[in-house]
Amino acid sequence: MALLRPSRTRRRDTSGNRMWLWFMLPGTLWMTGFLIASLILVAVLAVGTTDELGNPRFGFDLAGVRALADPAYTEVLARSLGYALLTCVICLLIAYPVAYTIALYGGRYKHALIAAIVVPFFANYLVRMYGWSVVLSDDGPVLRALRAVGLADSGTKILNSGFGVVAGLVYGFVVFMIIPLYAALERLDVSLIEAGRDLYGGPIRTFFFVTLPATRQGAAAGLVLVFLPAMGDFVSAQLMGGPDQIMIGNLIQDKFFQGQNWPLGSALTMLLMLVLLIGMLGYLRRTRKDEAEALR
Amino acid sequence: MTLVSTPSATAPAATSAPVRKRRRSHRRPRVLIAVTGLFFALLYLPIAVVALFSFNSQKSLTVFDGFSLRWYRAFVHDDVLIASLGTSLRISLVAMAGSVLLGVALAVGLVRCRTRLGSLAGLVMLVPLITPEIVTGVASMLLFKGLGVPLSTGTVMLAEITFSISYVTVILRSRVAALNPEVEEAAMDLGATRWQAVRLVTLPALLPAVLASAVLIFALVFDDFVLAYFTTGVDPQPLSVRIYSAIRFGVQPTINAVGTLMLAGSIALIALALFIPRLFGRRGGLDILSGE
Repeated sequence: MALLRPSRTRRRDTSGNRMWLWFMLPGTLWMTGFLIASLILVAVLAVGTTDELGNPRFGFDLAGVRALADPAYTEVLARSLGYALLTCVICLLIAYPVAYTIALYGGRYKHALIAAIVVPFFANYLVRMYGWSVVLSDDGPVLRALRAVGLADSGTKILNSGFGVVAGLVYGFVVFMIIPLYAALERLDVSLIEAGRDLYGGPIRTFFFVTLPATRQGAAAGLVLVFLPAMGDFVSAQLMGGPDQIMIGNLIQDKFFQGQNWPLGSALTMLLMLVLLIGMLGYLRRTRKDEAEALR
Repeated sequence: MTLVSTPSATAPAATSAPVRKRRRSHRRPRVLIAVTGLFFALLYLPIAVVALFSFNSQKSLTVFDGFSLRWYRAFVHDDVLIASLGTSLRISLVAMAGSVLLGVALAVGLVRCRTRLGSLAGLVMLVPLITPEIVTGVASMLLFKGLGVPLSTGTVMLAEITFSISYVTVILRSRVAALNPEVEEAAMDLGATRWQAVRLVTLPALLPAVLASAVLIFALVFDDFVLAYFTTGVDPQPLSVRIYSAIRFGVQPTINAVGTLMLAGSIALIALALFIPRLFGRRGGLDILSGE
């Protein structure tokens, strides 16, 4: 009989909230303790020092931050920015037609095709990158094919050049562009394109005045999703570029593993975060504006 | 009446011409399909090359001399690589268990708890997803060094759990939000305590997504390189870290064999994660990967 008694807890009471807080607590504490604390530690160590054994010692020493002004580092930062931005543009140029084709002409194979793109990207990054470097190597299939059709001569190289690094980054992260673009194109109302055609817009005009504006949020999300990992990557520059193609990720890795200059490494890490933060804020402002326009 | 009935007789004939015309203007664009085909070829070419040359009887990566399993035999007899494989498996299992436990609870709490503390926790959870791995790797390493904890397999496990919680929570969050809280309330009206309602109603409903995220986390952690690279010590290093040091020093055909096994393993796991929701009679599963 006790079971049939109406529960005393009513719908909008707060007694449940306390239990939900208990649900959230372990995960949140874990994340705060390990993640937020460790990120703060990076910021603190950027202005700290290390002892002879490399253990962090806290204090206030701007040597690490000041060293960033060294032209050698600003050059690497500029190169990283250039490569990451170039990667974004190339990813957009590749991903748009692919996402467009699958979303609009994929028919019942749509999901299978997208899965075929996504699944390998979750497989081991190093092995994929290593395979890509083999494919692009001087006697690999890509250069051999290009030579056969006369688009390259025997001196053409892809690996050990800036082009190799960007090719690696594109291969590594293009999926992060395809997914949001595909989602945007799937939502696109095809009758808009038809309306553009009915109004005598050619395919190109229709694309630039209808399709592209309608999917720009997907493109913006893709640009951020590619830019973030591309800026932080150090594998591509190592496997596909030469020693003179290093990016900021390689510098950070070097300062922590070979150079043992942890304050400088931390300062470089903070610099990387700063650049990405600026990118993120730009993206957020852009999407806010888009949303405001959509509401008007 | 006539106004209603006549269109059905005449409309198809009247509209069929423009429709056919429109269809023709939407003919399959050959260029787009060619570009997509080329993209797929380049996407799978590196994977195919690694797999093919793992069966090469010679050391070359450009000339295929004949089928042989010698590099797989070399891997099986390589004690260092086998020890690394064991390390990676242990890390993945621990990270999977830890992050699923914490992440599922966090997801349920985040959706149901509408307090300011809850939205703050929601923000904390998103941090790893927008931070590049090298930053989180450096940060984790500094934390362990700062606390005086020697780097080891254990520190890799802790770091991997931290960053996997976010994935579990993102995947589960939308699933929890899609559940009708009134079902839980109905259970409580029938005498269940709040905890019983969660255990007997909510969690079973989430089971497919929980299993899928567990498989996904296992694959992601097993394949992870950057975090493991920064937080591993002198124990048998995780397999991906071992592969990294091997491929930096030129071609090693054994790595082709290991790499092929890893690719096959993770592709199978991801496919399984996509397929799990379907096993439970739900339309599956790409949204698992995008968190939508």
